[in-house]
Order: sequence, then structure tokens, then C-alpha cells
Amino acid sequence: MLYAENILFTAVMLIYFAAMMLFFVFVAVKKDIIAVIGKYLLLTGLLLHTAALICRGIGAERLPMTNQYEFATSFAWALCLVSLVFILKFRFSMLGVFTSPVIFLVIGYAAMQSKEVKELMPALRSNWLGFHVSTAIIAYGAFGVSFVLSLIFLLRGIMKDNGFFDQHIPKREKLDLISYRSVCLGLLFLTFTIVTGAIWAERAWGSYWSWDPKETWSLVTWLVYSVYLHLRLRRGWSGKSAAVFAVVGFLCVIFTYIGVNTLLPGIHSYA
Amino acid sequence: MFRKVLKFLSSMKFAIILLVILALACAAGSFLSQHQSYEWYASRYSERTAAVIYALALDDVYHSIWFLILTAVLCCNLLFCNLLRFKPIFQKTKDFSNPKSMNLSLENSVDFSGNPCYVFKRLRFPAPIETELDGKTVLFSQKNRIGLWGAWICHLGILLLILGFTLGQMTRLEYAVYGVSGQTKPIADTNYLLTIDDFQIGLNEDDAVSQYSASLTVREIDSGETQSAQVSVNYPASLFGYQFYQNSTGWAADVSVLKNGILLQEEILCAGEYFTIEDLPELAVCFNAFYPDFVMIEGKGPATASGKLVNPAYLYSIYYGEEILGMNALFSGEVITIDDYEIQFSNPRNYTVIQIKSDRFTPLALLGGIITMIGLFLAFYLQPKRLLSIPNGNRFSFIGQSRRDGPIFCEELSAAVNEARNVPPLS
Ligand code: HEM
Repeated sequence: MLYAENILFTAVMLIYFAAMMLFFVFVAVKKDIIAVIGKYLLLTGLLLHTAALICRGIGAERLPMTNQYEFATSFAWALCLVSLVFILKFRFSMLGVFTSPVIFLVIGYAAMQSKEVKELMPALRSNWLGFHVSTAIIAYGAFGVSFVLSLIFLLRGIMKDNGFFDQHIPKREKLDLISYRSVCLGLLFLTFTIVTGAIWAERAWGSYWSWDPKETWSLVTWLVYSVYLHLRLRRGWSGKSAAVFAVVGFLCVIFTYIGVNTLLPGIHSYA
Repeated sequence: MFRKVLKFLSSMKFAIILLVILALACAAGSFLSQHQSYEWYASRYSERTAAVIYALALDDVYHSIWFLILTAVLCCNLLFCNLLRFKPIFQKTKDFSNPKSMNLSLENSVDFSGNPCYVFKRLRFPAPIETELDGKTVLFSQKNRIGLWGAWICHLGILLLILGFTLGQMTRLEYAVYGVSGQTKPIADTNYLLTIDDFQIGLNEDDAVSQYSASLTVREIDSGETQSAQVSVNYPASLFGYQFYQNSTGWAADVSVLKNGILLQEEILCAGEYFTIEDLPELAVCFNAFYPDFVMIEGKGPATASGKLVNPAYLYSIYYGEEILGMNALFSGEVITIDDYEIQFSNPRNYTVIQIKSDRFTPLALLGGIITMIGLFLAFYLQPKRLLSIPNGNRFSFIGQSRRDGPIFCEELSAAVNEARNVPPLS
């Protein structure tokens, strides 16, 4: 099973790479059909990726979400899932041009991590692990997509009029709205993540909140996105400054995910 | 003036400022090492920086008075905001089912001649009602009114969460008891005794630890009543209203002291503890560390090759008054001899640390968390929407309204209307 996962993982990485290249070609030659192929390629990648994760789960006899490699590959999976949902729901193929490099980057990061399957330490043997980590993965995926959308939003503000982009990228008002939708998804799931994490910490360590750096940074992220939400509701501040906060929010997500483990000490350092 | 200040204090603008400051404060606390001594900061940074850190209580950001005040101000802000907005939201909810409160400018409207009921159905609205509006009979329907309360409920949840957490921090009781199987110890100043009946460490095939579990009995001293339970990591137990957690573990050993060949004293000592000789209190022995599988690594010093009892060694140091007499590693069977005294370590085994806690406000914080999640769900996924169809000759104008989803709802409305053109018109 782990062998099968290895092969699938490599295939998925190549497919994501090919999809990214196709999306770039789409921008270069401006033929819609290429974006459609790119979209289907992403979908194929997602299906194979799902199979890879299932193989890993069966091979390791647990949820495939407990170390840096597993979390990174699941993160890439969620990014792909959320961006496909948004591409299909809002008929916005151009989104693939921007999300596919992020997906490829994250799965590339996963490829650099150790794939070894280790037995779990006692604190990780909990049913709450599944809720905690799977909600985190969806939240991260949604925030990734909102990051990309907010970047597009900000770029659109400085971009000169361009027929191709105008045709393929929604108006700023709608971009803002789609970004808002993905922040909503992300924030709801981040809240689930924090609450399930707190319940689990209460059972494992006897304290549901201990200002551990990972906890603290998920709170910082949560606060930044709630500023985003409130800014959107204020006239004059909505749109641009909210988009800036969505970008800052995603930087916090990345810091919570990678920076905390490498730069700051804490009980989450095994995750 | 007073009203103005109150208005600002309950405003969203102030809330945004507070949330940004809180985020910055939390981030700062995670970068600067917390709970260190003045000397530590002075040597790491500079005397001046250390003074600033101490003056601003940055050595313990999350429990500092300014952080507490910031949180309290946020709570007031939330409370005022929710109190002030209760009536308006209540009114808005009532008005929501009245088409008169809709903005009737036709900017969100689409015209068509067909079956208007189809459009309501297609957009999953409840069956529309007929009502009079400006002398015309219109069709009207609304859904997800409860979504108007989402933010309000979310804010209420956050308030309860902060309240539960803060009250818990102020009133919680916390103790730790450690010992080996068979030991009974008092739980600090409470009226209870804790007996560790058994302590086991479960291993995987690869010798990594799979679980730590302890069997405990707690006895109330006055009444003699007892309660027992098993605790392991992730599976705490509740006895006499306290929560018991398997917290951590370490090594302990029996220490015996002989004077002129006669047993003088026996102790169970955990690594890190010390004891004094009964009839010569100036003489103290410290059990510094234990190595179950002792190896000497060049350049690094003593270490253990595995967690198994292969080549046990006890690192000890001996003090006389303030003065250290010596420090060494002692292997099984070896004896420390000082004048008439012989000291021996034996029977190494694991001790367990049991954490004992009582926090009556945890359920309040949990309730706050759940309410917050419900509020967020309502705010984000139950978008209040309404739809009005006004007859216009033999055509209909549709006016739609969605609280946060305007442009998307507009698109959906146009699509539904386009589809409805192919449906037979109203007879
Ligand atoms: C950590 C803290 C906070 C969180 C997570 C939070 C969350 C939210 C959410 C999810 C919404 C709905 C946004 C939307 O529908 O797009 C909202 C709206 C709002 N929030 Fe907050 N909030 C927080 C703090 C505050 C504070 C301190 C105030 C104080 C004034 C405040 C005032 C408002 C107002 C006035 C609205 C508009 C509500 C409406 O349109 O119905 N929020 N908040």
C-alpha cells in the first residue's frame, strides 16, 4: 500500500505540474480549450491524490495527517479541492492559473519531507486528532484560495485594461465576494480546528489553552481574518484593505504551519 | 460627549483597532521567550532591553495587566455592541418578512413574462405569498432570516468563551502528585489522599512508548470514602469532582542508608530529588539523573542508549552543608561510602506524575466555543434572502435581495428567470 502511495504521489505531482504548465500556456496563447484541459487535469490529479491519501491511510493504519509530510500532502489536496470547487461554482477557470502554482509548491514541499511511517506517540492517539487535523486542512485550503483571490483582486487594481483578463477574471466586486466566501469557509473551519484542538489538549494535557506558540499563532490568524471580515463591512475600507488583511492572514497561516515548528519551541513541535 | 464616547467604545472601528492590537500582542508574546529572569534577558539582549521588557511585563505577556485590560476592553466593546444592536436586529428580523422594507429601486430586478412561481421554486424559496404593495398584488418570499442573528450569536459566544476562560484562570485549582506503584501521598492542602495502585508503560513492537497508564485510588480523609479509576494519556478520570490526568513520567529508585552495617534509613527517591541523612542532616545526597542503559559519549558526557534497563547507572552528588563533596555515576551493586555511612541505590522503576485539576468554568468556555461556531455558521451559510415579484402589465419584475451575496444572487436570479422563460406562463 505504501508502495502504491509512492507511485501515486509521484504521478499526482507530475499531473499538478502539467496542469500548472497548461494554465500558463493558456495565458500565453489565450485559447479557452487549454484552460478546460487544465481544469480536467486538476480534477484527475485530485482523484489520484485522494487515492494516494487512502493508500497511505490503509498502509499506515491511521489517518494520513500526523507528520509534516502527511499534513503537507493533505494541504495540497485541500487546496486543489477548494480551488476546483470555486472554479466550477463560479465558472472561473482563470483561478487555476493562480492556484496551480501554489498547489505545486505545497506538494513539492511535501515531497521534500520524510515519508517514513512512525508509530504515534501516546498524546496523538486520540479520536480528536482526526477532527482537529482534517478541519485544519480544509481551513488551510480555503485560506490558500482566498489568498490567491485577494492577490488577483489587488493586481486587478494596478493592472491596465486588458481584454483577455477582463474577459476571464470577474469584476473586482465579484472577486471580493468570492474571496469573502473562501475566507468564511476557512474561518469556520479554523474555529472548528481551534475548538477541537482545545478539547483534545484538555484531555491530553489537562489544559485547553496554554499559549503554546502553535495555539497562539492560530489565534493570531483567527484575529487577522476577523479583522478582514469587519473591514469588509466598513465603507471606504472594504475591498482593498480587506484584501491586504486576507494576504496577511495567509502569511500567518503559513507561519503557523511551518514557521512555528522551525522557529519557535512548543508542545506542537512534533506536528 | 458621554454618548459620543460610548458610541465609539461600542463601534466596529474600535473593535478593529482592538483586534489588531491583540493580534500584535499575541504574536509578540510568541517571539519573546516568556517567564525568564531579568538576568536572562539582560544577558541575551541588553540591560536596557531587559528593563523595558520587565517594565512592560513582556516576560509574561498573556498574564500581564495590560493584556488583561485589553481583553476586558474588547469584552466591553462586544457587550455594548451586542446590547445596542439587539433591538435593531430584532426589528430587522420582523421587517424582513415585510416587502415594504425592501429597496424597490429596480437595479437588482429582471423582467420576464412566464411563471413567476417557478423562479421562487428554482431559487429554493418557500412558496411565495400574495400581498398588496403600492396598490399592486405582488408575490413575496424570504428565507434564512435567522442568519441576521449570526454575528450577534457569534459575538455572544466569544464573550462567554473569554468569560469562561478568565474565570477559570482565576479560580482553578491545580496540583501534581508523583510517585511509584504502591505509594500514597496527600494531594497538597486538600482533604484527599492519592494512592498510585499501579503504573504501566505500554510499548510498541519497535519499543516506542504506546501508552502510559496509572490506576489510582483517592480517599477522602475525613469520611474515609474512596473512589478509583484508571487514567492514561488522552483518557483522564474524574474523582471527587477533580480531574486526574496521566501527565508524565521519570525514573525513581530505592535508596538505603546503612550506618556501621545497620539499616538506618530507606527512601524512594525520584530523579531530581535529594534527601538528608537522618542523624547527620548536614549530609545530603542528590539523585541527579538516571540512565537505564548507560553509555559515555565522547564530548557529550553520559547518556542512555535505550529506554530499557540494560546497564543502569545513577548519577548522584553529595553535599555537606553548602559544600559539594563529589559527583559520580553509580552502577548496580556499587555502594557510596562516607565515613560510617554506606548508601546504596536499587530497584530502579518508573514513577508517574499525576496532574489534578478542578476548573468549574471549562463548560462555560466550551459552551462559548460552540455558540461561536453556531454563530459563524449562521452568519456565513444562512444568507438572509428575499425575492419580490411585481406584475408589470403581462410581465413580471423580480427584485431580489441577499445580505452579503448580492452579485452572486443576482446572477442566480437571472439564470432562474432565463430558465423560467421556457416554462408555460401562469394561466
Ligand atoms: C474576535 C472577535 C470577533 C469575531 C470573530 C467577530 C466575528 C464577526 C462575524 C463573523 C461577523 C459577520 C460578518 C459577515 O457577516 O460578513 C461580524 C460582524 C460584525 N461584528 Fe464582529 N466579531 C468579533 C469582534 C467584534 C467586536 C469586538 C465588535 C464590536 C463592536 C464587533 C462588531 C461587529 C459588527 C457591528 C458586525 C456587523 C454585524 C451585522 O452586520 O449583522 N465584532 N463579526
